[in-house]
Amino acid sequence: MDALAMAAPFAPELVLLAAALLVFLLDVLGVRHLEALGAIGTAATGTSLLLVIADLGFGPLGALRTLGASHLDAVPAPGTAPLYAFSSFGLVFQGLFLLAAFLVSLASLSRPSHERGAAVFFGLLLLATLGMLLVAIASDLIFLLLAIELTSIASYILVGYTRRDPRSLEAAMKFYIIGALSSTLSFFGASLLFGAYGTTNLYAIRASAGAVGYPVLALLGFGFLLAGLAFKTTLVPFHAWAVDVYDGAPSDVSAFLAGGTKKIGVFAFFLVFLGPVLYLRGTGGANPFAGPPFDIGPVVQVTLAVVAVLTMTVGNVLALLQREMKRMLAYSSISQAGYILIGVTIGTAPALAGATLQVLAHVLMKSGAFLVVAAVAGLGVGPLIDDWRGLGARRPALSVAFALMLLSLAGVPLTVGFVSKFVLFSAAVQAQGLFVWLAVAGLLNSALSVFYYGRVLKAIFFDPATPTPAPSGAAMGAAGPPPLGAGGIGYARAAAIGLIAVAIVALGLYPQPVLGAIQSAATHFVAGGA
Amino acid sequence: MTTLGPTGFLALSSALLGIGLFGILTRRNFVLLLISIEIATNAAILNFVYFAAFAPSAPLGISGQSIAVVLVGFAATEVAVGLAIVLALNRAKGTINVAEVTELKS
Repeated sequence: MDALAMAAPFAPELVLLAAALLVFLLDVLGVRHLEALGAIGTAATGTSLLLVIADLGFGPLGALRTLGASHLDAVPAPGTAPLYAFSSFGLVFQGLFLLAAFLVSLASLSRPSHERGAAVFFGLLLLATLGMLLVAIASDLIFLLLAIELTSIASYILVGYTRRDPRSLEAAMKFYIIGALSSTLSFFGASLLFGAYGTTNLYAIRASAGAVGYPVLALLGFGFLLAGLAFKTTLVPFHAWAVDVYDGAPSDVSAFLAGGTKKIGVFAFFLVFLGPVLYLRGTGGANPFAGPPFDIGPVVQVTLAVVAVLTMTVGNVLALLQREMKRMLAYSSISQAGYILIGVTIGTAPALAGATLQVLAHVLMKSGAFLVVAAVAGLGVGPLIDDWRGLGARRPALSVAFALMLLSLAGVPLTVGFVSKFVLFSAAVQAQGLFVWLAVAGLLNSALSVFYYGRVLKAIFFDPATPTPAPSGAAMGAAGPPPLGAGGIGYARAAAIGLIAVAIVALGLYPQPVLGAIQSAATHFVAGGA
Repeated sequence: MTTLGPTGFLALSSALLGIGLFGILTRRNFVLLLISIEIATNAAILNFVYFAAFAPSAPLGISGQSIAVVLVGFAATEVAVGLAIVLALNRAKGTINVAEVTELKS
């Protein structure tokens, strides 16, 4: 097989890698225009997104596929332990990751063009996205954790890339300490699983998850991995860092962290924990051991269920208490991770599809919300929710887009947030037994969340505007840059926000094509091989 | 010469992890935090080497020793970024004590 044919399946990853290297090279050569570097980043993530959609064989783009159909969902030959495998479920997640990166990259074209560090921002954004794509094709625990680290290490720097702002430096410091701690725990867990199973291959671990000669070692390993991945996914009780980081980071980076990098933890949960959960449900494929000495399935499942409910509830209750917009959004992002975890706990194909759709909804809603926050901050509005009063009258289009995102987060019908919660909770009800209670907890939490989203909407549309000092200008000084297009927001950012708002409604009204693709991918994933 | 058995070896790596975690929880100096994280990471690396030599079942896929080498490289990368943050923090705030960096209220 010649080199080109071997490289072809990796086309989406290679595009990102090449673009990242190009951005750093141009920076060294002295090309530091935000517009030029941003255009490379946006074009690369967009191209990569199209390639992934093509690989999924979606519509007319299917003709462009670079991944041979035989590679997709191929079951590894017995006796082999591949490091990576292309599953349609992984490709769906690659698409979601790239969507988040593309939206953030597009919106960041409207960052103030005098700002330093454009190469760092776009270069590391591309490298972090590359790590995320590798997570989605991992089939080996070490490959998976190293891909997560590629994303994490890039995002530590992204949080603090401005270097001048003490708030974002503090956020970077906290993010780094927590991130390094969580990767240490993950690797320790992986080492214990290596000891228990004699392999780091995820298929092999999945096939024999419940039947292992050293159950205590395996249970400890899964425990450490759970803790390490819970940090990345911001699950309670490992969530506290997220609020400070999302708050202190530049809002565009917060959009990428909440909408993008957090989701690699979700996918890692699918890869690592479906084994034990599936084993319990009796669909985990051939069990090489007769009579497991100790069934770890229930332990893992109950733990995940408890963590899911705790995460939803704690995130929602604390969001109720917040007065700052970014901190409120950070807590609501934590509670959303709880909904997504329901899908892993149940482990059936419909539940996985629901969780994946919830991830898609979350990518749109949360990146969108943080991008709006960045836009509004550019207009000179303060960080408190009360500062947003009367915004509906001043900026109707922006306010309506933000309202759509919040309504979708609350799960109001006609939005994608409703569809995803509907699919997820009905999968929980279908699964019967104690899972029904997960759906009940989710519904109660959704009702709770309406309160704080409603409070924000009331402030924007119904409260009288507080007399604010002259918008923007003042902070930037007389020598500030000329105001951006689209009424101070910037055309690119306005386009990204508009795109998200349209997608939220469109997927809420007509989810069938996307839902169908996700469901078939999830069915493949649960069925075994890939 | 007596050899270290499985229990002894796991006790050693658990102790390393414990020392690292204790340091992460108690130290307030960023550089000491970095050292604590390194100690904890080494516990995982040590485990891979040990299990590769005495794996209970036949090793399949990449072996423990090669994983250990990769992880050493990973740890170095991570520390490089950590030191960069230390430098930036020291330049912006004049301190590397994490307890004194508290602008974001939690």
